[in-house]
Amino acid sequence: MKIEREKLLEKLEQMKKDGYTYLVKITAVDYVKNFEVLYFVRDIEKNDDQVISVDLNPDDVWVPSVMEIFKAADWYERELYEMFGVSIKGRRIKKLLLEKWDGTSFPLRKSFAWNSEYETEK
Amino acid sequence: MEFGIRNGKVMVIMVTRINIGPVHPSTHGVLRLVADIEGDTVENVEAHIGMLHRGVEKLVETRKYLQSHPYMEKLDYVSPLAYDETYVSAVEAALGVDVKERAQYVRVIELELQRVASHLLFLGTMCNDIGQMFTMFMWTFEDRDMVLRLLEQATGERMFYVNMRLGGVNLDLPKDFEENCIAFINREEKRIREYEHYLESNPVFMERMKGVGILNRDDAVELGVTGPVLRASGVQYDVRKNNPYYVYDRLNFEMQTEHKGDNFARYKVRMLEIKESLRLIKNALRMIPEGDAIGMPVKLILPAAKNREVMVRREVPRGELMMYMIADPQSPYRLSIRSPNFVNLSALEYVARGCKTADLFAILGSLDMVMGCVDK
Repeated sequence: MKIEREKLLEKLEQMKKDGYTYLVKITAVDYVKNFEVLYFVRDIEKNDDQVISVDLNPDDVWVPSVMEIFKAADWYERELYEMFGVSIKGRRIKKLLLEKWDGTSFPLRKSFAWNSEYETEK
Repeated sequence: MEFGIRNGKVMVIMVTRINIGPVHPSTHGVLRLVADIEGDTVENVEAHIGMLHRGVEKLVETRKYLQSHPYMEKLDYVSPLAYDETYVSAVEAALGVDVKERAQYVRVIELELQRVASHLLFLGTMCNDIGQMFTMFMWTFEDRDMVLRLLEQATGERMFYVNMRLGGVNLDLPKDFEENCIAFINREEKRIREYEHYLESNPVFMERMKGVGILNRDDAVELGVTGPVLRASGVQYDVRKNNPYYVYDRLNFEMQTEHKGDNFARYKVRMLEIKESLRLIKNALRMIPEGDAIGMPVKLILPAAKNREVMVRREVPRGELMMYMIADPQSPYRLSIRSPNFVNLSALEYVARGCKTADLFAILGSLDMVMGCVDK
């Protein structure tokens, strides 16, 4: 289910009230032309899984923090920031997840060394 | 200097920050913990991970589908077969390949053997962690070695099997496998009963386990923990039951849950799961059909992927493993791995808060982490 970034928090809060209390994973995909951040949520009682995705412009890559709604988001958000350079609004990332990281490059972006051909195509 | 109220008196609070590691006592990889300790109570604990980070998710983007296949097993080197199978399933889903009937049974038997091996290793190392040095460890390692021997017989390898092929397996089960497997199961069922008897009649063991590191049901769901840790808190969720894959819906087995959510419950769930897996293997061996189980030969260039977006979920020994893949024709455009260990470790901070320093390791042992999979 695609949703706008501004409505994300509202939507997730509503879903949690409806029984989707379990956050499975937050991840992102770099499509070069746009960024997609995905939230996998689950209703354990009804055994139902939903994916909420947000499209981002590569010049303006941020999502609101969902830590207030799901505690499980903590490490996923840190991973998201560190690997994709997606800033998390509403919380300061105090500590990085992985040790010895320079904090300037984002390895899972397509523009990072190995996949640099995607950058040149653009 | 800080002041606080302890036992009704105003006292000076001394919080000491200590560094633990970066070596895990049972060495499932490298982990560093920084704990804030007041007296003997853990106020806060932070896990520093990343020392085994190899950039798996990035690496697979640069390789063809089958080139990254053997590498997936190195994520969790205690249950490699489960990771092997999940990745191959993701590729099968992208390519639209169906798995042969007999191969499904072979896969289930091997996966359950892997689960038994992994839980046996958990039992040994957890007993190490709580200070029951090496007696249990050697017993369970003897048993685990028998499982490895069975898997070696079936796949040709002891540790990293790479036995899955698209649509089937590399090697079918050998002729005398069933006989050996049944002999092992009969022996192991007795051994597990013995272990339970030894451990649960030991007051020191019970004191370290019962009522320590409690994770209640709501917190378990909130923190997103998975696998035996989730089921030990009383949540009924097992991917094999809730979203059955292969022939799990045809095989007769029960989901194992406990309710207390403490160390003991986490240990107990795994013990019950070993017994259940042994029963499941027996069942599968009885039902396995004749026929062909061999999958496609290994080729660098595969038929182009049909499905762009693929999600595969599997119940591996440590919890739910999910692989979300955006598939290019010949290689993954993006492979996102939801590692069960990663979420379970992130819960440590909440579980360990307020426990005694020595119990920190009992809790860590009961969460059963493999750092290779946490760091990816």
